[in-house]
Amino acid sequence: MNGRQEASETQPRGSRLWRGLRHPFTRRVLTYLVSIIVLLALWQLTSGVVHAIKGRALLPGPFQAFSELIRSIAEIQHHFWVSAGRLVLAMLIALGLGYPLGLLVGHERRLDQFVSPMIYITYPIPQVAFILFLFLVFGIGNAVKVAIVAVALFFQLLVSARGAAKNISQEYITSVLSAGATRRQVYWHVLLPATLPDILTSLRVSVGLGMAFLYIAETSAALGSGLGRFVKGSMYRPALASAGIVAMAALGLLLYLLIDVLERLACRWKYTQQRPR
Amino acid sequence: MIEVANVSIRYGRGIDAVDAVEDVSFRVENGGSLAFIGPSGCGKTTLLFGIAGLLAPIEGEILVDGTPVTGTRREIALILQNAGLLPWKTVWQNANLSLMLRHEYPQRTAETVLRDLRLLDVRGRFPAELSEGMKRRVGIARALSMSPSVMLMDEPLASLDTLTRERIQDLFLTLWKEHRFSLVLVTHDIEEAAFLGETIAVLSERPAQIKEIVDNPGMGDVDYRTTAAFRETLGRLREVLER
Repeated sequence: MNGRQEASETQPRGSRLWRGLRHPFTRRVLTYLVSIIVLLALWQLTSGVVHAIKGRALLPGPFQAFSELIRSIAEIQHHFWVSAGRLVLAMLIALGLGYPLGLLVGHERRLDQFVSPMIYITYPIPQVAFILFLFLVFGIGNAVKVAIVAVALFFQLLVSARGAAKNISQEYITSVLSAGATRRQVYWHVLLPATLPDILTSLRVSVGLGMAFLYIAETSAALGSGLGRFVKGSMYRPALASAGIVAMAALGLLLYLLIDVLERLACRWKYTQQRPR
Repeated sequence: MIEVANVSIRYGRGIDAVDAVEDVSFRVENGGSLAFIGPSGCGKTTLLFGIAGLLAPIEGEILVDGTPVTGTRREIALILQNAGLLPWKTVWQNANLSLMLRHEYPQRTAETVLRDLRLLDVRGRFPAELSEGMKRRVGIARALSMSPSVMLMDEPLASLDTLTRERIQDLFLTLWKEHRFSLVLVTHDIEEAAFLGETIAVLSERPAQIKEIVDNPGMGDVDYRTTAAFRETLGRLREVLER
């Protein structure tokens, strides 16, 4: 009996549990779980090391953070939804403005010649520098917090969309033009679907950037709500602040997963079985 | 009928301008076929894009069925080098693209064509799931769905293995005889030109000019490849190309 036969006889091949574990979705969930467990272990380790070096519990461990999170769930939940609303709205505004403009600039050569220098000049400016002006224009309410994040993400998405539009194979454009496409149809049938995967990747990157800017925006105002405000307000209660940071991580993870689902639905062609050449 | 009279096509402007085609004239009767053969980068595709209405000549005139070509037209179909399929559209959507862009419904022609080309079973699949041969057939289906009177093909079988290439050449021949469209084929494959061209125009290096037109009266049969006339045409084409 050879090795392969032995392996097939000992493996519970037909069992439902085995097949369930091998399912791509289950494997994905398991991978996430393992990552989270490793992360929590590293956090606990860091907390322990800081405690040992400083002789004081400066960095709360995950157990304390989660205990505080459960205890203050009602308050944190309120701040969570406020921040989530601002971040999602800002992402939608940035996407709605940056994506079409990026496609136009990337595809229309004359427009690119005119607009690109403006992008090159403004993109490297740290968007934090605009905060003062945004406060002057939008006041200190919700609008300014959304605007700060939207401005930061707008440039990111504009540059990504422009690059993605420039990289589209001319073959696709010739293909639809020869089939009788109008200029608008070229955008709808080629530019939009061809660049969507790149834009969704950029949107994923934007989640992290957006969270950072949201924190700055929420902590720049003296009053108000949101996770940034909550974390800053809990400065002298590290366990509570850690609970706020955990909520921020949860918000980021939620948005990442949402974008993943969106990509699976909108870019179905990317997930088909590639035929070997 | 396709009439091309003293056509020159130039790319770019000023010092970047490149003369791709210079003073080319020919005519393809209704239901006729003409194959262009020439060295790589000589301007074959440019000439084809001119007939398709994708590029405007700087001199001369291109007429299809007596009307000047000033843009893409419903009766002119173009098959591109890699079939020109959009990866994000299914076989059905790709085959129906021309009809859909022109808002022509219902798409019964496309369904018939897909059935004839044995693609109906894979209509829900994406191009990445198909073999190279199937992709080319979808490209043909898209072109045929418009019932064109002129079929333009830009190296449609490049990078296919010999057997698949010959199978699809046979399919082209059958479709050409069945649908009686005027066929203009651009290729760098001498055998393909000899198999599908009633006349074969040999082009010079860039800017493309017609060096010689070789008549190929024996073509039109699937068994033509095995005949002495076919081998004779190949020899003649080689001679003109090497000259």
